[in-house]
Amino acid sequence: MAMRHLITGQGNCAPDGASSSNPFGNLANAIFGQSSKAQSIKELPGSAVNVPTTSELGTAAPLSTIPGSENEFKQDQLPLARGADFIRGGPSHDWVESFRPPGLPEFAVPDAQLKEFEQIFNSTGPTFGPPVMDGPPQRVLSGVLRSFLASGQAGVPFQPVPVPALGLSESDKQCIRDRSCIMARHILADQPEEYIQAQVNTLLHSLDIDSNYRMKGPMHGPYPEMEEYWNQSQSAMRSGPMHNAADKWITEFGKQNNNPEEWAHSFEQQYGSNGWASEFEQHQSQMAMTGGMNMANLAAMEQSRMLAQTLASNNDPKFQVCRIPLNIEHSMEENSKFFQFVSKMSRGELIIEDNQVKQGSASQSSGWADEFQTQYNANANSWADQFVHEEMSQGADKWASEFSTEYNQGGLNENWIDEFSKMRVDDEWAEEFSGGTFGESSADPWVDEFQNQLSASKQNSGASRGVYVFSDMNPYVGHPNPMQEGQELFRKGLLSEAVLALEAEVLKNPDNAEGWRLLGVTHAENDDDQQAIAAMMRAQEADPTNLEVLLALGVSHTNELEQGEALRYLHRWLQNHPKYGGIAPPQPTDSPYGPDVIRLFNEAAQMSPEDADVHIVLGVLYNLSREYDKAIAAFKTALQLKPQDYSLWNKLGATQANSIQSADAILAYQQALDLKPNYVRAWANMGISYANQGLYEDSIRYYVRAVAMNPKADNAWQYLRISLSNASRADMIAACDSRNLDVLQKEFPL
Amino acid sequence: MDGSSLKSAQLLEQMRLHMATDAGKDIAKKVGLVYQFNIAPKKIGVDEEIFVVDLKKGEVTKGPYEGKPDATFSFTDSDFLSIATGKMNPQIAFIRGAIKIKGSISAAQKFTPDIFPKPSKL
Repeated sequence: MAMRHLITGQGNCAPDGASSSNPFGNLANAIFGQSSKAQSIKELPGSAVNVPTTSELGTAAPLSTIPGSENEFKQDQLPLARGADFIRGGPSHDWVESFRPPGLPEFAVPDAQLKEFEQIFNSTGPTFGPPVMDGPPQRVLSGVLRSFLASGQAGVPFQPVPVPALGLSESDKQCIRDRSCIMARHILADQPEEYIQAQVNTLLHSLDIDSNYRMKGPMHGPYPEMEEYWNQSQSAMRSGPMHNAADKWITEFGKQNNNPEEWAHSFEQQYGSNGWASEFEQHQSQMAMTGGMNMANLAAMEQSRMLAQTLASNNDPKFQVCRIPLNIEHSMEENSKFFQFVSKMSRGELIIEDNQVKQGSASQSSGWADEFQTQYNANANSWADQFVHEEMSQGADKWASEFSTEYNQGGLNENWIDEFSKMRVDDEWAEEFSGGTFGESSADPWVDEFQNQLSASKQNSGASRGVYVFSDMNPYVGHPNPMQEGQELFRKGLLSEAVLALEAEVLKNPDNAEGWRLLGVTHAENDDDQQAIAAMMRAQEADPTNLEVLLALGVSHTNELEQGEALRYLHRWLQNHPKYGGIAPPQPTDSPYGPDVIRLFNEAAQMSPEDADVHIVLGVLYNLSREYDKAIAAFKTALQLKPQDYSLWNKLGATQANSIQSADAILAYQQALDLKPNYVRAWANMGISYANQGLYEDSIRYYVRAVAMNPKADNAWQYLRISLSNASRADMIAACDSRNLDVLQKEFPL
Repeated sequence: MDGSSLKSAQLLEQMRLHMATDAGKDIAKKVGLVYQFNIAPKKIGVDEEIFVVDLKKGEVTKGPYEGKPDATFSFTDSDFLSIATGKMNPQIAFIRGAIKIKGSISAAQKFTPDIFPKPSKL
């Protein structure tokens, strides 16, 4: 549970920053709330593409597909704050931390732990609370955006309102700039270009944002832009940042977990028990703010566990007294009841009056502590102060009686305690933690949880085998002839656009084998073999004997190092070939034997030495058997027959690279890129060849080029990250993790 | 590496070749440790194949190390590949139990995606 929220919270908005997303969510709501009624945006600016009306998509769909609007409720809450914090913490925590057993001396320095805790506390503390939730900047921003929207709909020039300094970060600004551009184009689709520009400029100016953005040209329109940001926010969930964030979290968790007593001890030393108690209640109220969420419950429980353990492990009578009244039972649900109670109290839904719990007016936002203080005003000091005061001034043994006396004087009596026991929050709760099982018992499920989340998020990102993952936003859906459009885009080398058009085609005609095949080819050229395989499998379903499809599947499986599958498809290629089919035994084999298949293809090559395709398949087969010299020879033969085949040049290069002839490989890739400048795969392979030669600085430029052309090229992103760290460019790893192409392209021009 | 159906074997074969290059030698010089990898097709400990990446001598061989490797890693085929290609962070993998480690912790820390060559795509 906890991790899910941690991850989603983080994924939602980590790259953009929390403050900007929310107003945009509101804006998006406003727009779609209105447009979903009747309006439809028929035509997008500058393109002949029909966008589906919102009603076609269903009223709920557009909301969830607009970046920034996603679950704005969650964004203000704890997980986000945590996630963002950990992203900032970044990758600097290495290996060493997590490997070293907590018992080692270097590790157990109380100071360090204290700092860890402080860090957590400081960074989470302020972000929980009301100031951020209803923070003025957001309200202001939201207001401005709404008035912008209103003026847009009324068709009048937008009147800038003076706004106070909002303290927007650069990324916020960038985000606002780009998104308002996109939004404006949607809302004002029927208006002239200059008008849109003017409107957006005015808005940006009023927000003190540099308006030197470019309105993108018609074809590349708002969508790539939008997609880019969408990808950014998605990617945070998928890869780097999450890992790093989680690393750090885990490290810290581990530390606290393994030395809870020390933790409590050092914290107490620092702040005194006064601080401890007030921190705790502050935490409670903050947590209560996030009310109802499991994360809050878990976090609160974590706190309470620490509290309980400290209580249990401390033999001081003043603590013992706490164990008796807290008639607590060990159970998750019971615990959460307790916290619901506290949480309700802090939200003002429940008020303790005359020692009775009553329903309150719910609007009071002051925390539990305030509530407490107000109700029991006779006591000028809060419970916590009292607590400490007693501890300081009285002998410890007198403390218990003093405590109850004070309670009664202050208008408190045992009923208060009874309330707690009625909630059936219980004593084993405390006892559990006096035993040493805490670490294992809670850490393991936690790790499992994390693991599940990790694999779940992997699947979401399309890693699940053979299932084609469609893009979320596709402007080509509804296009009259997406197939033709896709072919055209592919021919122009606009691979990512072509993917969208072809996806629209296969959504329309799921049995269009050629559509699926071209989609697969496009993915392969875009350096995404997983999607290529998924598309090709659909193509093969529709047309089981298509030779190009079979070859492509063989190649993609080879790239994924899946020898068995690769061999099967290449064998099938031969079986289904009109000319060579006779050579191969016709019965289907599930696991053909590599050398046999190679022998059959050599026969075929002797039959017709001028058939480039046979040599290509042979080259792939020799790659599988790692006979690279033969593979290189086969590809070179094929190239003599088909010198214009850029993918063949790339195959030659990749084979050379895998057999450590990286310098030759680069020449071959160069040929491929001369023939097809937007060949993402060849760009990525270039980067690999430089990296494998230890030329990391050079490799970075090529990887950046590859990911700039296809921001979804996960492999290239991963390799880029490795090269950055090898080239001692740790300063750019954050940009890589957040997939900030602007920064990377500026830093590493090609 | 021949005769292995593991995906990892292909990467390790590439690494074997890579060790002969200047970049490979640099890596060996930088790390200077002997790693043994016990790689299982599906489940750690089941049907493991053993490989040794000797970054003292700059060799990759199949079969257990004669002597004591600086660190021994056990993982599944796909997890090894994820780690070697930078898909998965070794720390995370360790915490998840996707890697089991025997031997020196400080040696294990030097095991990163950086030491592997990257496979190029056809």
